[in-house]
Amino acid sequence: MVLAGPAIQVCQVGTVLVAGPGVSGFIARVEARMQGRRGPRVLQPYYDLAKLFRKESLAPDGASWVFLVAPFVAFACYLTIPLLIPVLTTFGLPLGYMGDILGGGFLLALASFAIALAAAETGSPYAQLGSSRSKTFGAITEPVVLFVVFTVALITGTDLPYALAATVRSGAGQLVRPAHVLAAAALLMVILYETGRIPVETHTGTNEFGMIEEARAFEHSGPYFAMIRWGSSMKQMILFVILINVFVAPWGLASTGSPTAVGLAILAFLAKAAGIGIIIAIIDDSFAKLRLFKISEFVAAAFLLAVLGVFTLYLGGG
Amino acid sequence: MMTPAPPVFASVANVIAVFVLLAEFGMLRAAMLRAQIRLYAFQSLLLSVLAAVAAYERHVPELYALAVLSFALKVVIVPTVVQRLLRNTNTEIAGSGALGVASETLLALGVTAFGFFSVGALHIQSRILPSAALSLSVAVVLVSFVLMIVRRDVVSQAIGFFSLENGVSLASLVVASSLPLILEVAFLFDLLVAVVVFGVLMRVHHGRSRSLSTTQLTKLRG
Repeated sequence: MVLAGPAIQVCQVGTVLVAGPGVSGFIARVEARMQGRRGPRVLQPYYDLAKLFRKESLAPDGASWVFLVAPFVAFACYLTIPLLIPVLTTFGLPLGYMGDILGGGFLLALASFAIALAAAETGSPYAQLGSSRSKTFGAITEPVVLFVVFTVALITGTDLPYALAATVRSGAGQLVRPAHVLAAAALLMVILYETGRIPVETHTGTNEFGMIEEARAFEHSGPYFAMIRWGSSMKQMILFVILINVFVAPWGLASTGSPTAVGLAILAFLAKAAGIGIIIAIIDDSFAKLRLFKISEFVAAAFLLAVLGVFTLYLGGG
Repeated sequence: MMTPAPPVFASVANVIAVFVLLAEFGMLRAAMLRAQIRLYAFQSLLLSVLAAVAAYERHVPELYALAVLSFALKVVIVPTVVQRLLRNTNTEIAGSGALGVASETLLALGVTAFGFFSVGALHIQSRILPSAALSLSVAVVLVSFVLMIVRRDVVSQAIGFFSLENGVSLASLVVASSLPLILEVAFLFDLLVAVVVFGVLMRVHHGRSRSLSTTQLTKLRG
């Protein structure tokens, strides 16, 4: 029995949709364990979402429809990207080639733009600070993503994520080439920034001056806030998929459409995401949060890595 | 057009060489003098590892001796001596350089690009290591020049000079790894002389001006 392409595509989106909060919960649990605390349940994010969906929602005075529609725009973007990237399969699925990595990057940027716009609508200083900061540092992280895409394009001759994953699988020489190592490291640093992990900001939901990503949703409440929280855990999953299944470990994906292969691919992906989660928890527990003005140095370091990757490729040694 | 992957050994050697360059960038931006010295030790360690890997892969036993010697000297002795000198001066943080960190990094990146492409255009082939490592070594040398020019304290300038030597020995691993061992050892002892000279300079300078900063050296004194 072979699953039809659209069915597998639904599984791809479903995996990211359903497992996203769970991976966040897993990271919080591991992090707490490393600090000697018992920590929240792994399923806690789901309970939080259920609670938020039951609450009433309020909008600030004078906020227009932009404020209310933004969580849904962002959510729709995060639902579209898993169609484009290899979450479960080695082969392209229906609609899988409608955009390349750059297209996925544009969708991520659109989602964060929508939320920043909503934050600007509120008139709340915290939310506006958060959105202005995230756009300021985003001006440096987006070129990093571009350079990572250039590296991919130079290595494979195309910028389809499926093509890079296939290239990496083709031999150990691909995995250790400097351009690949540098691009993957730069991508990891961008992921730490984009998911609001420790060298950039604390992820525990405490309110403080240094907030960036967490501050933007300050004025949302109830189901709207739940959509934003759910969306940001999906964004984390999407970035993990790009790092794991395109760059670092594109093994364990389904090469046929049989239900067992797809099921095993889901389990393998969850295991790999948990592995990355443990690495991120270790980073969270072993570094201090950077001062706000040092964050530009952090993202500049990621930029340096990505540019050096392109340089080594041009030299012929990459 | 697709870029084929180089052989695994060449890739590993290139990755190590890239990390040598990244350590140099780290030294450029490190504000703590101790962190700078630690980065220098790390860079030297990478170089010893590269020499050992090349010795194993290409069957050049002399390189093992070089790896051991450079480990003992550049990873253990030199950092220890500089740390001890630093401890006597009670200074931990370098004064700000002539430029901000971001502009320093951009400048160094430009210089790196220049080094990369000018040496890459020469198409020098080597039996032992891939030729990209040579371009990387030239980039290391140029960035260490930037480090020595923009930083205004004696320790950073000394570390810049020592890491310049690291860049040169990376280059010599690529183009002249079959150099007689005695010459390589002579280079290493050259480094020892430099350590003594810089040690004396640091002590005298700190004794006279009570700081490690070189900004006061612009005035002539009778």
